Amino acid sequence: MFCTQCGAGNADNAAVCVQCGRTLPGMTPGAALPVQGVTLPMNEAVQNYLVFAILVTVFCCLPAGIPAIVYASQVNAKLQAGDLAGAQAASNNAKLWCMISAGACIGVAFIYGLVMLVALSFSVSHSN
Amino acid sequence: MQTRKQWLAAAICVAAAVAVVMLKVFDPATSGMFPPCPVRYLTGWYCPGCGSLRAIHQLLHGNLRAAWAMNPLTVVLAPFLTYGLVSSALLELRGQGLPQPALRAVWIRALCAAIILFGIVRNLPIHPFDCLAPGAMLHL
Repeated sequence: MFCTQCGAGNADNAAVCVQCGRTLPGMTPGAALPVQGVTLPMNEAVQNYLVFAILVTVFCCLPAGIPAIVYASQVNAKLQAGDLAGAQAASNNAKLWCMISAGACIGVAFIYGLVMLVALSFSVSHSN
Repeated sequence: MQTRKQWLAAAICVAAAVAVVMLKVFDPATSGMFPPCPVRYLTGWYCPGCGSLRAIHQLLHGNLRAAWAMNPLTVVLAPFLTYGLVSSALLELRGQGLPQPALRAVWIRALCAAIILFGIVRNLPIHPFDCLAPGAMLHL
């Protein structure tokens, strides 16, 4: 079954989309989701941020990308198990670690740019 | 109606496009435009991503061989990442992404293990593995 919102392929008996968390058709109306005591806005996406997790791991060259991938796998594992709240928590963590990694990467690039500028201005002033 | 989130997504798309053009024009191997890998700089070890910018630069010029020598992991992942990024951009901008298979968690863990293993193995000074260091395959 394909999700009507994001187009992700899902198992036929899946209650929610593994990609975006939308309720999938085919569920009996009013059937309780396998989550207790938690109300989640169903149009809010439960994303696993896997693409971004891999991107920051491969391009930011920092170990902070690894927890992002681990949390991304937890999102899918918990969605498969029907644990929507757990999936949302893992999704938040995946996003957090992507942000940490990307932030650190931008920080490193910024400092590098600054150092290069200073070095450049030094070499220019010395050559004069 | 454009929401703030959509503007942000559009801004990130533009920034990414600029980054791709910069990466095509400037070769990270020869220009000091791009920062070095912090892991490599601080520890002297290659990380799983070392050579990825040089690999993308070569890919953008159609040199698959040179790209593979720089970072085979990046070359393997590049089409999937591109597809995923396009899908994410479409999801944010028009509310619908591209069709994607539901990945089982175990595959994501396997991928994570593969990335870590690749990072370790390319540092080994033993023959078949040392080829995985960035650029080593160019000098075979």
